[in-house]
Amino acid sequence: MKIKKILFPTKFRELAFNSLESLLELKEIGLKEVVLTYVIPRDEVGFVPYGGYMKDEEERLREQARIRFEDWQEAITQEGIESKIRIEVGNPIPQLYRIAEEEKVDLIIAGRKKRTALEKVYVGSHTLDLIRRTSIPVLISKYMVRFEWEGELITKVNDHIFAKPLFATDWSKPSEKALKLVSSFKGLTDKVMVTHIIGVKISKNLDKSELRRIERESKERLGNYCDTLKKAGLKAEPHLFSGRSSAEIIRVAREHKATMIVMGTTGKDRLREFWLGSVSHRVAEASELPVLLVS
Amino acid sequence: MKFGKWVLTFFLLSIFCIFSVSAMASDHEAAATHDAGHGAVTEHEAAHVGTEAHGHEEAGHGGHINLGELLPLWSCIPFACMLLSIALFPLLAPKFWHHHFGKVSAVWAASLAIPFLIAFKGAAVHELLHIVLADYVPFIILLWALFTISGGIVLKGTLRGTPVVNTIMILIGTVLASWMGTTGAAMLMIRPFLKANDYRKNRTFMVVFFIFLVANIGGSLTPLGDPPLFLGFLHGVDFFWTFKIMPHMLLTAGILLVIYFILDSYHYKKEGLKGAPVEEGEKEPLRLQGIYNFIFLGGVVGSVLISGMVDWGEVNTLGIHRAVQDWVRDGLLIVMGILSLLATSKKLREYNEFTWFPIVEVGYLFIGIFITMVPCLLILKAGVKGELAFLIAAVKEPMHYFWITGSLSAFLDNAPTYLTFFNTALGAFYPGMSEAQAVPLLMTETSIYLKAISAGAVFFGACSYIGNAPNFMVRSIAEEAGTPMPSFFGYIVKFSLLYLIPTFVVVTLIFF
Repeated sequence: MKIKKILFPTKFRELAFNSLESLLELKEIGLKEVVLTYVIPRDEVGFVPYGGYMKDEEERLREQARIRFEDWQEAITQEGIESKIRIEVGNPIPQLYRIAEEEKVDLIIAGRKKRTALEKVYVGSHTLDLIRRTSIPVLISKYMVRFEWEGELITKVNDHIFAKPLFATDWSKPSEKALKLVSSFKGLTDKVMVTHIIGVKISKNLDKSELRRIERESKERLGNYCDTLKKAGLKAEPHLFSGRSSAEIIRVAREHKATMIVMGTTGKDRLREFWLGSVSHRVAEASELPVLLVS
Repeated sequence: MKFGKWVLTFFLLSIFCIFSVSAMASDHEAAATHDAGHGAVTEHEAAHVGTEAHGHEEAGHGGHINLGELLPLWSCIPFACMLLSIALFPLLAPKFWHHHFGKVSAVWAASLAIPFLIAFKGAAVHELLHIVLADYVPFIILLWALFTISGGIVLKGTLRGTPVVNTIMILIGTVLASWMGTTGAAMLMIRPFLKANDYRKNRTFMVVFFIFLVANIGGSLTPLGDPPLFLGFLHGVDFFWTFKIMPHMLLTAGILLVIYFILDSYHYKKEGLKGAPVEEGEKEPLRLQGIYNFIFLGGVVGSVLISGMVDWGEVNTLGIHRAVQDWVRDGLLIVMGILSLLATSKKLREYNEFTWFPIVEVGYLFIGIFITMVPCLLILKAGVKGELAFLIAAVKEPMHYFWITGSLSAFLDNAPTYLTFFNTALGAFYPGMSEAQAVPLLMTETSIYLKAISAGAVFFGACSYIGNAPNFMVRSIAEEAGTPMPSFFGYIVKFSLLYLIPTFVVVTLIFF
């Protein structure tokens, strides 16, 4: 499982290019091609009330996007990476999903939510919708974020995000897939923090001896995960915690100065997610770090 | 910059309101003095009617006051401006219109509502609430339900657009339009129709005839077919009464389908496709997906039908008396739409490129249309006592109703135009009579006039892109798919004047 081709969709928001630039370091682990994509939302150009379709506006937006992408392509080419431009009209999420399948990309880059004054959630519903549907890994890149920590407002630039990933596992199949993906990060990553959280739902109804057994098993599994990463040439250290999974992951990532969070995601639909909740989606929404989700 | 624009808008609106209130109040006083012989009207009485009136009819006809006799003609200006905005903005400033149509609608609605409320207080509140609860809400709910349900049905498969196949597709769409609405039928058929013809060079006329028949004329048989007919149904026209315009519809659709077939055959031959070998590509069998949505469509038909057949009494909502069965119908329509949303997979809707945007547009624009049209409807209902007496006097023959309703429907939306002339007929033939008494007489004694209004509103809606809501949706989809469509005037000159108007002349000669 290697990242050779990535889909970089953009709405040309501020710092979009910086975000792309920061990802070009993936060349070190085999990135060959970037598909630069802009989906013009149909509602922007079509269904003008009692009017029809604004072909001129579509052409203008296409040209504008093409010129910007061509400028970006120069930076990509300088890195020795190939690139391709796809500009289409449609409903953005299904269209991105279709393009990702057609292009057979290994990773989709999803931008963060439009910046608001009070930043509590970094991922919009559209990105979550994309994550629910695709089986391709999605990296929610959050190039620049503002967040409050211990009463202080901090602005953070997430650069060199692959340097120290926190890999949170729940032992699921998607987690195993994520492990394979992280194993391919040699050359980019200094150390992987392999983390497991014994959730409140599990720990609260168990007696001490049962809890000890789970703890032992978890440590053993963490050790196995670390061994796998070490065999792939990466440094890895295990971390075991107990508590509310999403809050713990975010806390540990902050305290250990992780550069990104990697998780498996089970791809629950909207209804199941509403009832059961999704740790990975909550982490993606609330963490100020980039989050790589593998389903 | 944006703030500046809003300040300017607010300033203009304030001036308009101050001017309107003083002018309406002076007209109000003058009318009250003038009507002293019939019983002077005071503001107190106006407010009294507003709070005690039992239903629209009483406020309009049978109560203490008839606002239609008091309102000046210029109180219709916001309505005219609203309709002109719809007609002109898409032509002159499409980008501005696309992003600000909701604000434009709100400005015109406020320019009528604020002075109207200040001048007539309780009576005005009653009239505005009545049009919103009794007309706008059920109208939008029906459109939403039909739009949602039909958006879940997908026609897939490989079709080759020959003249015969195309004519059959348009015919099927025409038949479906009366049962799933012109918008629903058009949205279901347009993408397969375009896909079947993507190898053809000249596709423009095909889409235009598709608009003529599927997006307009096909919807003339039931109140579900076209919004004007549903408004008629809400005002007491029987569900099956509209079948009385079947001969008119069959003649019109027949003539246009024959013309279409001849045109298509001519172009097919000219393009060198007749007898040419068929390219063997990957063939997908023809199939309908999401067919369970037809059950929900059946539910919509049943709900509307039942609401016209039973009488479960009335319920008072915010001072407006509405039949219980009407609320039940609206509730059932919402349930049908929600069931369709739950049952239909996201992929089917995506295949249809379903988006809420068109229905949201209709929602925003029609609240403006319905609110601004209140004075116009009241004046027309007042008959010869209202300031539009000259119009009622001028429109006498069925032919006049057909052509005037039609001509205005071609350039204004056909739903408000229908309601305007429906009220003109009521005012002309049954002035002072309550709607509940007058409409049954209009359906029987003077049914030819109602046929003329109904046929005029539905048929002429096809004459321009702005005549009926699905016209612009079809145009938008066709243009996006690469089919060049004529300009606003090109459509009228090259197609409507050439094919539709002569057909309507024939309809007039035979029926009116």
